[in-house]
Order: sequence, then structure tokens, then C-alpha cells
Amino acid sequence: MQITKALVAVVFSLVLFFCWANVSVQPQAQGAGQAAKAGDDGLPVNNALVVQKCASCHKKDDKGRLTRISYERLSPEGWQQAIKRMVRLNGLSLTPEDARAIVKYLGTYHGLAPEEAKPAMYYAEHRLQEETVPDESVRTACTVCHTYGRIISQRRNKEEWDLLVNMHVGYFPVVEFQGFRRFPPPPDAPPPPPGTDTRHPADRAVEYLSKNFPLQTPEWSAWSANMRAPKLAGRWLLSGYQIGRGRVYGEVIIEPTGVEDEFTTKTKIQYLKDGATITRNGRSIVYAGYSWRGRSFNDKGKTADANAAVTTTTDAAELREVMFVSRDWSQIEGRWFWGDYEEFGLDVSLRRVSSEPLVISANQQALKIPATASATESLTLYGANFPADLRAEDIDFGAGVKVKRIANASANAVTVELEIASTAPVGKRDIALRRSFAPGAITLYDKVDYIKINPDNALARLGGVRFPKGYQQFEAIAWQRGADNKPQTADDLNLGPIDVEWSIDEFPSTYDDDDKNYIGTLSPTGFFTPSVEGPNPKRKFERNNYGEVWVVATHKAKDAAPNAKPLTARAYFVVTVPLYVKWDQPEVGR
Amino acid sequence: MKHLTAINRKAKRVEEYIAVNEEEDDVFALQQGPPQQRPHYPVGCSLVFSPGWEVDVTGGTAGLCQPVERDLYDCYISCYWPAQVPDHLNNYPDWTSKCANATKDWRKIDLVFP
Ligand code: HEC
Ligand code: HEC
Repeated sequence: MQITKALVAVVFSLVLFFCWANVSVQPQAQGAGQAAKAGDDGLPVNNALVVQKCASCHKKDDKGRLTRISYERLSPEGWQQAIKRMVRLNGLSLTPEDARAIVKYLGTYHGLAPEEAKPAMYYAEHRLQEETVPDESVRTACTVCHTYGRIISQRRNKEEWDLLVNMHVGYFPVVEFQGFRRFPPPPDAPPPPPGTDTRHPADRAVEYLSKNFPLQTPEWSAWSANMRAPKLAGRWLLSGYQIGRGRVYGEVIIEPTGVEDEFTTKTKIQYLKDGATITRNGRSIVYAGYSWRGRSFNDKGKTADANAAVTTTTDAAELREVMFVSRDWSQIEGRWFWGDYEEFGLDVSLRRVSSEPLVISANQQALKIPATASATESLTLYGANFPADLRAEDIDFGAGVKVKRIANASANAVTVELEIASTAPVGKRDIALRRSFAPGAITLYDKVDYIKINPDNALARLGGVRFPKGYQQFEAIAWQRGADNKPQTADDLNLGPIDVEWSIDEFPSTYDDDDKNYIGTLSPTGFFTPSVEGPNPKRKFERNNYGEVWVVATHKAKDAAPNAKPLTARAYFVVTVPLYVKWDQPEVGR
Repeated sequence: MKHLTAINRKAKRVEEYIAVNEEEDDVFALQQGPPQQRPHYPVGCSLVFSPGWEVDVTGGTAGLCQPVERDLYDCYISCYWPAQVPDHLNNYPDWTSKCANATKDWRKIDLVFP
């Protein structure tokens, strides 16, 4: 951001030079498919409404292909974004109903195969995630403004990737200097060694993208031949997890509407930790046979606590659902989210209830192995169709764990008394109830080795006066090191949330750094509320209340010796400025 | 190829931009030669919150403008961070019409949803 005025001016004039020097940077409605050589791979548009609304600018050829449109395959959000730009900048007018129908057609028949969509789902799910961008040119040219997720939820032929670069240059000329082009070497610099790739990063990025994200793929040919509207009506069990609130268990009834790939939902869920129950009604569209976009409402039409500035449970007035339906229609997984920055969310997994018993989760995530002899633990399993004649020997946790008796049973929940032997091996266990499995649903451990903060790298945004606050919930997770006896490795066992004390430490990035006094407050439950945006006259140079700090969690075991060292963990946390423009496509779930 | 009005509109704004800016002393800086360093953006920072506008090259806030409102117009006018701040050139020509000085009048600018 420290860009001097002088630099802006330089940048600008050079950009103008480039813009005029190279006419092809003008965004084009024609483009792809015009050139005969690139021609034959496009997808015909078999939808009268799309042709009627788009073909005035995107010419139709004798094979039913429209320029540009037939040479790209996009996620529903990708189509929504392009069409909104057609309206905003290119002079298209559309009713909301037509826009919805067009996005539905294109998001389905010019969409992605499930295997292609899966690695990019986090983008539609608005998940906080650290991205790895395998290609250096793409990283420097393309991920300085927006995420890689936006890019990999698209497929295009080479010409379309080129035209996308032109679109950026045409609308946002400074992009040339943010990484699209190399700066020319100083006049007295020695010539680069022979064989040096002197192409501009954007050109190299296009080469990488057209090779790795092409229009035609075996995945898409296979999926488009097999695609059909999914039959999802029925009863589903939900297990979920929300940072700071813990595990959630519940039920979703999916009902058909008159339209084959649209559904209504009735959801009832319970937070296992505090018992809060929530009911919601929703509506959804499933694109391309698997890609669920929906939203749900609480029955009050507002947050349960109307006075609360923010709701940290799923009783938000409206929450959005982005999920992925498994190929056999037996599972649906994804994220339900809300908040002005989509910072609140529930990771959900739905399993279809058939006529067979189904076990999906338990009320605890980890059980401790006693040091000597054996221990008795009570555990409740959740599921459906638990048989009336269920016996202790129908339930199996693997070696060292014996089901002593069934204390309480209904069709949906059963409480068992377990005997855990001191010799029981440490590890993740599947819970089997007759022939139904809940894979890895419970972990046996003997020691908490360390704790970690989730998320361990986070961002909140100042707000509350003119722009919304972006909140952040933290939680501490207990871990046991795995068989390799090394902490922070892949075989470590997640033992679930653990109670800690929260505090904030300065992250010294300047001399006399005092951010921690300004950024906001962290509650005893790890919930961070940022301060207001705008210049702060009390700070040097009227700096905003932004800053970066360490969030620190400290855990003292109840049974620890008085002089034992507590377990601690920290997370790097940036509290920064608001976003002033919000590129987001909530329409795909409406 | 058919000529599209959007493009003409855009071209017109580019021209307007130069016309306006030619009078400002910014342009004299051009004579000082090529930039000494590349613009400042967070290499390697790519959490899914749109990176760039919100953190400096070290991944923190120390290098942001102080206060950031001072920087808002440069970002807006040059569409430096069009994913985070509305761009003047195409999408939001009137974004700051109610706000002459962002450091003072920041309460008058809107969050926009393209
Ligand atoms: C009034 C003219 C016009 C109409 C009507 C129009 N477009 Fe476009 N379209 C353009 C122009 C100009 C471009 C190139 C500039 C751009 O990408 O914004 C374009 C580009 C595109 C692109 C490529 C964008 C990219 O990211 O590479 C897509 C996809 C697209 N249009 C879809 C559509 C769809 C779908 C419709 C019909 C619902 C439509 N357009 C109707 C003018 C139009
Ligand atoms: C200067 C910041 C910036 C950089 C750098 C940038 N983008 Fe974008 N990109 C944007 C903005 C802003 C939009 C939204 C445009 C719109 O929808 O009107 C966008 C939109 C997109 C879209 C959606 C296109 C559509 O039709 O809606 C894709 C895909 C994309 N960018 C890919 C890329 C790739 C690939 C690169 C690198 C070659 C790149 N971006 C570099 C700012 C940037």
C-alpha cells in the first residue's frame, strides 16, 4: 500500500501507453471462437433464454456456440459474477428471474465436474484457508488481489485465458504493474543468460492455466454424459462443528419442490456442549447434479437475540449453505455460514437415513485411557433407526474398550457404559453399531501433549461506524503426539477443544509497538470484537486501530502439580481495515 | 467486430482521467525516472480473505497508510486494489462524490456490492 504519488503517476502513464499500444487489451464480447483454429472445442448453448439474452453481443455460430460463453466452464459463482458485469458495465438488462435461470443453466451444463470443483469448494464456502499456488507466475501475477480459488473454479481454452488477462488490463490498467508484466531491466544491465524465460508473468500464467485448467477434460466429458438431477428428498442426519461452539448434531428433512433440482429443507440441530437447539427452514438449488447452494431462515425472521449485534450460533436470520453432494446421493458435505464477512460458519456433514441403523457421532470426541486398571465412561451415540433389540455386543469400539451395558436407548440415541482398559491402544476409533460405521468418531488418548489455537493465523476487520465489523472466534484444541512421538506431525491426534485462558501479546513490528491497546477485545471465551474503523486521533499519525498481535491460549490442567508448566499456544492475528467493495455472489443460492 | 458502448465509455473515462490529472503536480514526478522499487504488496500472503489491501509486504499492518483513509483515494483513482476498494475507472465513478476528504469524511462513503 505504500505507493507514492510519483509512482502512481508513472504507473499510470505507462499503463496508458500499453493500453494504446496493444488494442487487444480491450475487453471483447466476440473473441474466442472467432479464430477458426481455436474453434472446434466449444460447448453448444442449448438454451433458448441464454441465446435470446446473450447472442446480441456473443454471436452464435452454425454449431450453436456463442462467442466467449461456449469456451468457458464456470462454477455458479463464476457465471453469476460474469453476468453481473454484463449488466453493470456492458449494457445487458435482465430480470432477476431470467438471471437466475441463466446461471442455473450455465452453472449446470457449462459447469465443472465434481472432481474439478472439489479442490475449489473452499472458495464458494468462504473458508479461511491458506492457499498454495503451485505456479510462481500465477502466484505473482494473479493472487495479489484475489484468491487462487476464484481462478481454479474456472475452465477455459487458451484464448479465453488470454482474454481474461485482457479483461483485467482493460478494466484495471494498473494490474500491469502489480505483476502482469516484468519491469524492463535498467539500460546498463547485462543481458540475461541465454535461455532465460523473458516472457511476462501474465503470459506464463496463461500458459500454465490453459494447460492445467483447460476447457475440455476427461472429467467433464464423463460427468456431463452421466449428469442428472439428484434425488435428495428424505431424512438426513447432520453432524457439524463450529469453532468455539463445538459439535452439533441434528436432522435435515429435504423435500422436493415442483422443480427437479430445487429443494426445501427443514433443519433441527442441537449444540452438544451447551444444549442450544435451533430450527430453520431453507431452500436450495443443486447445480450440475452435485453442487448445493441454498440458504435458510430461522422461524423468527431475525436473530433470536434481536439486541445482539452479532449472533454466534446458527440462529442467524439468514445463513448460506454451500455443499457438495456425493455421487451416490448418500452424503452431503460443506459449510453453512453467516456474518458480514462470512466469518461464522458450521462445517456440516449430512448422511442419508435409509431403513438400516445409522450411527454418525458421539457426544464426546476423545476418551482418556486410565493409567492403571480400567475406567468406566458413559458415552451417548447419535444416529437413526437404532433397533429396539439392540444389545451391548452390537456396538464395537475396537481393542481395549468394552461395552458393559446399554444405559438408555431410543431410535435416535443410545447411551452406553464403557470399560476402558489401561492397555487400550491410543488412536482414532471407528464406532460400529451392527453394520453401520462412524469412521474415526472417537479418539482414545492417554495424555494431552500440546495445545494449538484454531485458527492459528487469522484476520478481523475494524468496523461498526460505517462498515461492518469482521469478528473472529478462536478456540484451543488439545493434541496428543502420535506414534512417531513428535509434536505437530500428521499422525497426531486431535482431542477436541480444551478450556484455556485467553490473552493478547504484542507482535513487535515497529519500535514502541502498542497495537494491542487499540485493536479490540478478546473475551474469556476466545471471541474477538474489533474496535471501530476510521482515523484514531489518539494514535500517532491518527493511525487506525489496526495492528498485529499474538493471541495466546494458556491451559493449566486441573490435576497438574502446582509448579507444572502450563500448556500454551499462540496464533498470529491481524486486525485490519474494512473492505470497501464486496465481490460476492449470494444470488446463486436464491 | 461490433463496437460496444461500454468500451467507448471506458475509453472516455480514461481520457477524462488524464485531462484532470495533467494539471496536478503528480505528473512532474515522471521526470524523476523509473520507479526505484516495485509497488508494495504482500508476496506470499494468500489466505482467502482477499489479500493485498489489508496487509503490507510483511503480512502486517505497519506499512499501511496512517491512517488508511489517506490512501483511499489513490487506491480508488488508480484502481490499485479493485478487489478491495471500488475502482473509479469503470465500476464506481461516483463513489466519493459525497466525500471531499476521506480522512475527515470517511463516514460518507459506502460499502458497495458489485
Ligand atoms: C450488450 C453486450 C453484451 C451482452 C448482451 C452480453 N455480453 Fe457478455 N460480454 C460483453 C463484453 C463487451 C464482454 C467483454 C468484456 C467483459 O468481460 O466484461 C463480454 C464478456 C463475457 C464473458 C467473458 C468474461 C470473462 O471472464 O472472460 C462471459 C462469460 C459473458 N460475457 C457472458 C455473457 C452472458 C452469459 C450473457 C447473457 C446473459 C452476456 N454475456 C450478454 C458484452 C455483452
Ligand atoms: C488488480 C487486481 C487483480 C489482479 C492482479 C488479478 N485480478 Fe482477477 N479480478 C480482479 C477483479 C477486481 C475482478 C472482478 C471483475 C468483475 O467481475 O467485474 C477479477 C475477476 C477475475 C475472475 C472472474 C472473471 C469473470 O468473468 O467474472 C477471474 C477468473 C480472475 N479474476 C482471474 C485472474 C487471473 C488468472 C489473474 C492473473 C493473470 C488475475 N485474476 C489477476 C482483480 C484482479
